[in-house]
Amino acid sequence: MLTQQDYRSNIKPIFCPGCGDYGVLAALTKAMADLQLDPDNTVLVSGIGCSSSIPHDLKVYGIHGIHGRLLPIAEGVKFANKNLTVIGAGGDGDGYGIGLNHLIHAIRRNVDITYIVMNNEIYGLTTGQASPTSILGHKTKTSPYGVIERPVNPIALALAAGATYVARGFSGDPNHLAMLIEDGIKHKGFALIDVLSPCVSFNTLNTYDWFRKRVYKLEDAGHDPSNFEKAMQKAIEFDLDNNKMPIGLFYKKDLATYEDLDVAEKKGAIVDEPFPSKEDIAKVLEENA
Amino acid sequence: MESVAIRIGGANGDGIDSAGLMLASIFKKMGYNIFAFRGYQSVIRGGVVWYQVRISNEKLYSYGNEIDLLIAFSQEAVQQSIELVKENGVLIYDSNIGNVATKQGIKLMPIPLTELAIKAGGSIYRNTISIGIACKILGLSGDAAKEVLSSRFKNKPDVLESNLKAFELGYNAVEPLLKAPQPGKGAKYLLNGNNALALGAYAAGCKFYAAYPMTPASGIMEWFANHEELGVFFKQTEDEIAAINMTIGAASAGVRAMCGTSGGGFSLMVEALGLAGMIEAPIVVVDSQRTGPSTGLPTKTEQGDLLFVMHASQGDFPRIVIAPRSIEECFYIGANAFNLAEKYQCPVIILLDLFLSEHIESVDIDPSKVSIDRGKIQKEPVKDFKRYQITDDGISPRSLPGTKGLAFVAASDEHDEYGNLISDVLVGLPEYAELRKKMHEKRLRKLETMLKNNDVEMPMVLNENADIFIVTFGSSTESSIEAISLLKERGINAGLIAFSYLYPMKSEEVKKLLSGKRLVDVECNATGQLAKLIAMNTGIIIKDKVLRYDGEAITSKEIADGVEKYFKGV
Repeated sequence: MLTQQDYRSNIKPIFCPGCGDYGVLAALTKAMADLQLDPDNTVLVSGIGCSSSIPHDLKVYGIHGIHGRLLPIAEGVKFANKNLTVIGAGGDGDGYGIGLNHLIHAIRRNVDITYIVMNNEIYGLTTGQASPTSILGHKTKTSPYGVIERPVNPIALALAAGATYVARGFSGDPNHLAMLIEDGIKHKGFALIDVLSPCVSFNTLNTYDWFRKRVYKLEDAGHDPSNFEKAMQKAIEFDLDNNKMPIGLFYKKDLATYEDLDVAEKKGAIVDEPFPSKEDIAKVLEENA
Repeated sequence: MESVAIRIGGANGDGIDSAGLMLASIFKKMGYNIFAFRGYQSVIRGGVVWYQVRISNEKLYSYGNEIDLLIAFSQEAVQQSIELVKENGVLIYDSNIGNVATKQGIKLMPIPLTELAIKAGGSIYRNTISIGIACKILGLSGDAAKEVLSSRFKNKPDVLESNLKAFELGYNAVEPLLKAPQPGKGAKYLLNGNNALALGAYAAGCKFYAAYPMTPASGIMEWFANHEELGVFFKQTEDEIAAINMTIGAASAGVRAMCGTSGGGFSLMVEALGLAGMIEAPIVVVDSQRTGPSTGLPTKTEQGDLLFVMHASQGDFPRIVIAPRSIEECFYIGANAFNLAEKYQCPVIILLDLFLSEHIESVDIDPSKVSIDRGKIQKEPVKDFKRYQITDDGISPRSLPGTKGLAFVAASDEHDEYGNLISDVLVGLPEYAELRKKMHEKRLRKLETMLKNNDVEMPMVLNENADIFIVTFGSSTESSIEAISLLKERGINAGLIAFSYLYPMKSEEVKKLLSGKRLVDVECNATGQLAKLIAMNTGIIIKDKVLRYDGEAITSKEIADGVEKYFKGV
């Protein structure tokens, strides 16, 4: 029986005191312990940014990759060995800025990966530039007159792209978040979990209090996560009324994964396939005789 | 050497490609050796395209400097190729295109190709009519052609009937005019470089290929797409950035993995190439070069990416660069690349180009020459596992996800022997500055180990007592071999030094090899990139260069002319 602590490495997180990402780390290890995930069969893939340092804080296999590319790396791992539990974790700049293209394609493949985005609406590690989710009017180092681009809405975007599991958590409520992560890992298919995770050093606008005033739980509001139209309405709620930020499970649907459908994957995990024998090679060569 | 070259020319959409491919198969069936290439354009219909097939009973090294038989469907096709028809050669053209410009000493034959094709079932059958004409003009039996057609269209009886009819109509439209060489025992397989490379990778246990469509590398992805039932995973990705990152993920999970592209796509892969270097992921990357810069000439060849792939991505990290010199080498290097990638835990870059990727040759391949070496993979749990252990040879033990007790984090940041970062709170502290140096040196040491292990092949040398040497690499090698024969006919004793393994280089040995020799650099690029690489490694500067960069592969005649000019000092 592994405890939450058993999943933690002895590395001290680089997060600032009070950083929302501590809540994510706690929720992630809680979900892992609740599921009793085998650390040796789990791969946590991240990109670049404060939040992407998270693989070092855990005792699982990790790939701390390059900025914006954690999803293709994670997909490569999953396609190579579908028996592994593959989790992606990174920030909003990583996933909704430089790497946004990959998100849409990972969603449409419905590859069985759980992707946690620690969304602090700012570039923290580079000390406070506007991010793709910085809200209109937000004054940052690179938007001294306030942001004039409308923010990326990851929930609506994921729904529109056909995601089969779309949720949003708040790192101020790690138990609720742990439940969403656990569900996301159990879900067969691509799971996006956007996490409102305050940056206490460089985002003085979207603070814990700012979020607390706005978040409410979808399950408390009687939301039906099997209803796509209702999910979309909830997804754009903040765009229409910036006093309301629903958290919880927006949408969930069972659909075949890429690994279920791919011809090569039907034989089993690719990594377990034997190398071809001399006879196998000769036979394939013969196609060109 | 006795050989015959046949060229069919027409527009995109005329079925020139399939006629050329079928001709190659037919001649191979007869027992000839084949060397074939096509000229095409980045349009789907119209324009002017050609397919040239050269046959002999000896090994061929080019598709031929001259044409014996030209079959043209349009005025443009005549104009494009007429100068290449040799004396006493034959030009057959569709009589509906009117009078054609010609040159002296060749035999002109207007044939109502379109009219005959319509009799067979439609004007598209001009291509099969041409196959019939080619066989008959060369005085060859039609049996092999009928077999090839029957096998190709076995599932489409109507189409087969029309094709057989078209073949007969063509065959009966002409009389033998040219003498084909006696068929011999031709090589067994008909392959282009892309297919040979894919087969080599498959033979070595490559089970993962990711790519985004790009000429001239797309043939590799099509091979993989059509062989997934072998348990080989193939993914067409959203871009080349995803392709290489997926490949890194798959390789890290323990699968032999490859991605491929052309120069433009390789440009997108550059950042992740450094990631593979830093986390020591064993990936194979193919760059099939085309004419650059930027979009360049998408359907034409060049060897212009050599110094780019050699230096791509920030910082110093080990990589291996190899350029196969022939279709056979595409297979063997395509296989060995995976051993090198896993042994030295670094990216291996294979440099092809459009000419090598897409030209077809009859070749023999021996799968028993493929061996497997997966390098240092730790499977048993050990206490205090150091994935990036500092070792004398620079190579550390790898563990694969799923292995008990050996979890670690592969980090793109500088890290210690365990994989823990030394890039944030520890950076700048004296002992960590020292550790950074040690980790960096550890990685770079792998190349010294590779050189010591004799895993770097020296260039191929032909005619070592020659008076003048062609220095070249990759796909320009075969025409250089042919150039040596041409130079011999002109009384010049020329030799060859041809590189396939380009980086790392055995600098001292290469220096010894090149010293005291008269050298002429031969490459398909504008600046002599191989010569620069040699200068960088050995200090030897090759001044005399024969370079081609108009988009075509350099021919043996051009090489011979250039070498002769330098040899005679004119």
